[in-house]
Amino acid sequence: MSTRKQKISFTIKRIKNFWNQYKKSKRGLLGLAIIIFYSIVGIFAPVIATYAPIEPRIPTSEYPGSPGVKIATRLCKPFWYKYLPWIKRGLTNITETFYFYGNIMFGSAIIHFIPENQHPEGGLDFDKAAEFPNYMASSYKVLKLIEIKATPPDGKQLFFNISEWQVRGARLVLPNELVLPANKLLQMCTNATMFKMTYTTGADLVENMKIVKDHKFTTAKSYNEWNWASSSAEFNVQYDNKHGFTTPGREESGCLNITFTGEDTTSEDATIMLWKEFYYPYYQPPTDIFIHTSIYKTGSSTITLQLTFIHETEEFTVKTVDIAEPNKYNHIIASEFTQNSTILDSIFSTPGNYKFVVKLKIPAGTNTTIYLDYVDCLLYGNIFGWLGTDNAKVYPSDIFSTLVYGTRVSLIVGLLTAVFSTFIGLFLGLVSGYVGGIVDEAIMRFTDLLLVLPTLPLMIVLTVSMRATSGYISMWNIIIIITLFGWMGFARSVRSMVLSLRERAFVEAAKAAGGGRLHIINKHILPNVFALVYITLAMSVPSAIVIEASLSWLGLGDPRLASWGKILYDFNNSGVVTTKGLLDYWFWVFPACLAIATLAAAFVLVGYSLDEILNPRLRERR
Amino acid sequence: MGLKGYIARRIIYTLILIWAIITVNFLIFNALPGSPIEAYIASLKGSRPEAFRRLAEHFGLNKSLHEKYLITLKNLITFDFGYSDNFGAPIIDVITRERLPNTLILMGTAEVITILIGMLLGVIVAYKRGGVLDTTIVTGSLLTYSVPIFFIAWLLITFFCLYLHWLPTSFAYPVTWIRNPPSNIIEIISGRIYHLILPTITLVIFSVGGWILLTRACILETITEDYVITARAKGLKERTVLYKHVLKNASLPIITNVALAFAGMVGGATITETLFNYKGMGRLIYDAIFLTGGGSDIPLLEAIFYILALCVVVANFLADLIYGVIDPRIKYD
Repeated sequence: MSTRKQKISFTIKRIKNFWNQYKKSKRGLLGLAIIIFYSIVGIFAPVIATYAPIEPRIPTSEYPGSPGVKIATRLCKPFWYKYLPWIKRGLTNITETFYFYGNIMFGSAIIHFIPENQHPEGGLDFDKAAEFPNYMASSYKVLKLIEIKATPPDGKQLFFNISEWQVRGARLVLPNELVLPANKLLQMCTNATMFKMTYTTGADLVENMKIVKDHKFTTAKSYNEWNWASSSAEFNVQYDNKHGFTTPGREESGCLNITFTGEDTTSEDATIMLWKEFYYPYYQPPTDIFIHTSIYKTGSSTITLQLTFIHETEEFTVKTVDIAEPNKYNHIIASEFTQNSTILDSIFSTPGNYKFVVKLKIPAGTNTTIYLDYVDCLLYGNIFGWLGTDNAKVYPSDIFSTLVYGTRVSLIVGLLTAVFSTFIGLFLGLVSGYVGGIVDEAIMRFTDLLLVLPTLPLMIVLTVSMRATSGYISMWNIIIIITLFGWMGFARSVRSMVLSLRERAFVEAAKAAGGGRLHIINKHILPNVFALVYITLAMSVPSAIVIEASLSWLGLGDPRLASWGKILYDFNNSGVVTTKGLLDYWFWVFPACLAIATLAAAFVLVGYSLDEILNPRLRERR
Repeated sequence: MGLKGYIARRIIYTLILIWAIITVNFLIFNALPGSPIEAYIASLKGSRPEAFRRLAEHFGLNKSLHEKYLITLKNLITFDFGYSDNFGAPIIDVITRERLPNTLILMGTAEVITILIGMLLGVIVAYKRGGVLDTTIVTGSLLTYSVPIFFIAWLLITFFCLYLHWLPTSFAYPVTWIRNPPSNIIEIISGRIYHLILPTITLVIFSVGGWILLTRACILETITEDYVITARAKGLKERTVLYKHVLKNASLPIITNVALAFAGMVGGATITETLFNYKGMGRLIYDAIFLTGGGSDIPLLEAIFYILALCVVVANFLADLIYGVIDPRIKYD
């Protein structure tokens, strides 16, 4: 018993000694600190990352009519961009150039405006010009026209009164027919007249906005969020805590209860408007909107639901639906507006107070009760999260979350590969060195063969053929492949060490004392090789991490896993690379690259310090 | 046994190695369950019957395993890799016509610069070992192992191409050359160099660290030997000691590595060439894996892989020969 205690205390002492030596190496400590940091990040990834790494979505329980709502639009910039002073925000003036062509056809004047970049030098004939529209299509949303001037080819400049022009759908600028009819314009300007249009547009960093605070109507307070007005006095709106939309496992059942008792009194269709007022502070429209409403009604008459935005006197209806089926919750969704769609452009033109309106039209002479639940409107911006979002079409990922979760993959692949390949190398090296003879020859020739083969192409080829057979590449395939080509160098060094060790006096003595092969390997050779094992373990992690990232970057990674390599792959295939992508989206890839580099470097540093401590030859030299 | 016997042994060993490589090639592409080559050929059956018939005949699709092995052996030895429908040419032409020269230009430049810089710095650092310079350069070199090459390349592209607009981001030569190739030799060379700068810098940064460490280790190994101490004790000039006693003896492992590096050249640098869209062998690997219509050109991959391995084996053989000639310690037995 006491010998065991002694043994333990001896081990503790040895570890302490080792640690005291290790402490002296600043590089080693730095490396260790980085590894510990990344391990913590990897372990606590679900806490640190706020979103799922792949296809994050707001769950169905929030918006029951949708299979999941995206957290942000694609290609968002990081939220802290709004603190960067050099990024232009607010109103700016833009000047765009168009060329005017016109003709009289069947007695009426027809005009065309050709954008500058599509207008060939020396002009174009009218047939070609006819393919272009009769308005100036601005590249940005026109908030206000400032100036329009025309320069005919002969050179005399014409200035127009701004009131002679009108803006339609936020991006189309055309002459106002009442003040400036086409034939008048045709008289003033000859073909190929250059039009310069100056207008004000907004550029802004828009954050995601959730318009309704309590869209599930969980408490009675949520009633106060809404205002309502109706065309007749037979309406009543109140909070209801019984009839909300519920699914098994969800007890909350609050909703808005709208009753209409117009069976005997009304002769006209009645409408009720419920609205929620909000302030939209940006000079640029949102990139997308998502509107959700769950509606339930009693009675057989068809009710019309209209989802609308109101700004000052302007009204924009997003969706109109007829609800016919009674006694059942209908989930109405309006979503996936393409960026720069006229609907987005025209709704949100300037900062100001807006109303999100739910309008119900009820036919005359009916009694009905309507429950409204899960009424919400999400406005998606162009900045999101710590590192923005990627380019996924349906559910863009939060890059920061992917980065955090990716730590796991890199650590697992790096460590497991190192352990496996070191173990294989150790085993084959020991066998080869200690057994010798034909076994040694066979193992060493095989090692040579693998050392000779070009590694990266071979790995690529193997991964491709694995993908060809199994359909996809899993993380384990990658681990196996990297392991397969990671053990040769170590096996060679172990073999040469064993060869010299087995001739030493202490091994001879052990043999003379009757020690068996296993005993000698276990007690006399392994302890001497182990220093090398630790060093190799640390030193083979970095290459594994970098190789994994490189394979993923080539598109040969596990597509279902959030890894650093996947971030690189997505960026590389997003189409923003070849343009000014790296300048505009550096925050997308550089953190991942930096993470790979620092984690790999940390293992190199640790390995180097271990080498300094454990390798006697280096110690002497210092 | 003398030098001749040594060479004979090496030749036999190299031949065995080539056979082993062909066998590995056969195993990976033909014999593994769900053989990639057969899957690839079968996938052509419906869409491109012409190509299917040609490849099926070339690879002996319906023959027994040992017959297929013999066919592979014959094909690879005679460099008859078949016809690539995706690239519209015999595979050997696809490889040698444009890709191989491009790669040799890029890798040759990069390799020469890397080795020169690496050895020079390695010698300096080894001589001033223990100093600040040594620590910095050694740590720096160790760290280059851990930096992914695309990180270096992206940083360079961002700075030199996108920010400063000095250098092109892609291709091996100006795009206009495709329509009207230049005849002026100066124009050709300058156009090539213009497109070579960034990939070369990337490759040099990426691989110079290894050379520094190797040279340093080799020199440190010899510098502590007794004969160096003797030479110094004799009162020889430090320069003479360095060139005659240290460098000469330390150069042996470096020579092997130089030979191997030049063999590895043929493979190009898959990642660098892909990044810079430089149409070389490395990019060919990428192009073969990701065909525009989806899928991979497996026969082409097989050919590339075989050629790469063959080059390395031959280079190894040459390195062994040089060793045998210049290292008196090698016993020819």
